[in-house]
Amino acid sequence: MSTKGKGQGKVQGKDQVTIRQLPTGVPGLDEILCGGLPEYSFNIIAGAPGSGKTTLAHQIMFANASPKTPALYFTVLGEPAIKMLRYQQQFTFFGQAKMDGAIRFVNLSQLVLEDDLGAVLDAIVKEVEACKAHIVVVDSFRTVVRKALNNANELELQGFVQRLALHLTSLQATTFLIGEYVEGELRDNPVFTVADGLFWLYQSVERNSIVRKLQVMKMRGQASVPGLHTFRITDAGLHTFPRTFGLTDNKSDHVKGRRRLSTGVRELDALMDGGIPEGDSLLVAGPSGAGKTVLGIQFIAEGVVRGEPGIVAMFEELPDEFMQRAASFGFDLDKNIKDGSLKLIYLRPLDLSVDETVHEIVNAVKEIGCKRLVIDSLVGFEMALAPDFRTDFRESLYRMIGALTRLGVTIMSTVEVEENFTSMGLSNFTISFLADDILRLRYASINGQLRKVMMVVKMRRSKHSIDMCAYEVSSKGLVIGEPLRGYRALTSGIPGPWSLEAGQSLPELQTDRPPGPRKESPRRKKPRKKNSESRAR
Amino acid sequence: MKDWGRMDTPSPSIRDLALRLLAASQTASAPHGHEAVLVSEKLRISLTRFAGADGFASLLRRALVLASADLPSLQSVEIGADGCLEGFERLDANTGTGAGGREAAVAVTARLLELLVTFIGESLTLRLVHEAWPDTPLGRGDE
Repeated sequence: MSTKGKGQGKVQGKDQVTIRQLPTGVPGLDEILCGGLPEYSFNIIAGAPGSGKTTLAHQIMFANASPKTPALYFTVLGEPAIKMLRYQQQFTFFGQAKMDGAIRFVNLSQLVLEDDLGAVLDAIVKEVEACKAHIVVVDSFRTVVRKALNNANELELQGFVQRLALHLTSLQATTFLIGEYVEGELRDNPVFTVADGLFWLYQSVERNSIVRKLQVMKMRGQASVPGLHTFRITDAGLHTFPRTFGLTDNKSDHVKGRRRLSTGVRELDALMDGGIPEGDSLLVAGPSGAGKTVLGIQFIAEGVVRGEPGIVAMFEELPDEFMQRAASFGFDLDKNIKDGSLKLIYLRPLDLSVDETVHEIVNAVKEIGCKRLVIDSLVGFEMALAPDFRTDFRESLYRMIGALTRLGVTIMSTVEVEENFTSMGLSNFTISFLADDILRLRYASINGQLRKVMMVVKMRRSKHSIDMCAYEVSSKGLVIGEPLRGYRALTSGIPGPWSLEAGQSLPELQTDRPPGPRKESPRRKKPRKKNSESRAR
Repeated sequence: MKDWGRMDTPSPSIRDLALRLLAASQTASAPHGHEAVLVSEKLRISLTRFAGADGFASLLRRALVLASADLPSLQSVEIGADGCLEGFERLDANTGTGAGGREAAVAVTARLLELLVTFIGESLTLRLVHEAWPDTPLGRGDE
């Protein structure tokens, strides 16, 4: 059922009717509607006051109205037309030129107040016929219904709605009835029964954040993306963020792990059997100060050197701080920012949705042909979300990582874990299942020193080293030293000698040598087997 | 037209537009009717369609109040139940020349246009006016 919007039709089979689709003019909404609005459909836009119903209707109307396909906007006992025009013209989609006949406003308030449903129906049909309107909006239809319910029974109301739908469809109009409804009114409501399409707009306030969501509850004749899609109202009107992230048309030919991407740290590449498999999602988990961001910088810097454009989505540091930090490690990334091979995305409003964030990232990925993405950090990401979205964080991350890796992007996400000395957590979000690969950084108390230890915990479909190596964050980035041998309980952070009970002492226990380039221990006679057998699932 | 939308006195450009509409109404259709009433009636038809009868009547009432502050003679003018101006003929009769009625007509029309500009902006106002007077040059490229 996929099709392109913008007035394209969709042919399902040679014997089936072609339903043309109209563009909504709302970014993202055509994707949610799998192409656009079915022409001649009879739709309801429902929601609470202030949820954006009128703005959505205006946006659709301005996107489709032209002198040849005019639109009629009936106002009924709702927002006075003069005030509505006063406010709606503030949106950028409001093209004043369309007021020259392409769009007409007709006030039905008096008629609704003074006459019956039959007269209202006659007036609407007469105006639509005279104007040859292709788009018809009734705002607010709820007031018509309320009046009708006071004076007529439900059956009469259903008859009125059905006749209205019949006439307007026969007149080849695509119709939108706007109404202030609550969800409980969905059942047995004749208006919803007759409607072909039902758009529901939600607005909720949680703590200090406003969360707006849209749902296409019903759409006859074509598929739509199910579920709640977040949206924002800006100067440009509604902007929806489909849960599909704008990737419905992307048929990925990307094969995960076809090649390895260097992390920028040669010794770490060796631990990972050559680097991060392309298209993988690597989770770098570790406590504060462990060097997670530094590793992200090295990963990105290595990429741009190799002609692989990168993006850093940062939720904690400011872009300037990031650039200064990179420079302090000897990476001059200014030229990459200028030539477009590196993009820094700073996202820190407090009412972000994951979908909105991912759309921002996906757009940037498409814009620069990004191959490497660093998300620094997931903790900051979660904090930037509106509280309502935090409960869905894991599910949203799952969709986000899936969407981005399908584009062939290799993701390095950092996550700060609270260090303790009894266990070794991988993240506070129970999200490690989302990662193809996990690198754990942690502190360990060795010989009276707080040493940094690194280990590759997991690499999906790939073998990797099982060594736990000491490392340092030097002025040039991460420097990985020798594997730590002779300890037990290294993962606890408070290791002891394996053979303490036997009274033996091993050289590794006595050394306070800082990590440096790895070399073979003189004690070893045989080459050390660096990599374990595959631990792939 | 930089000073459009000010609430103190109608700008020269609005006054000019009001004069054009009054002149067009005088020459075009009914030579026996008072031009202020004719202009108001044309605007009433156009505005009632989109703003409703009450919407237009409230705007006209406000315009009359504002104009009366400049021209106290307008206090005798009223707005009928159907939203029409009533009592303009008496203004002409009082002065005997018609000049007082003409000045009052300009004042009311200018105030009404000024209110529209204040609420919906110059561009939309001119488009609405153009709908009612499609053959009358309105200035600014004859919107």
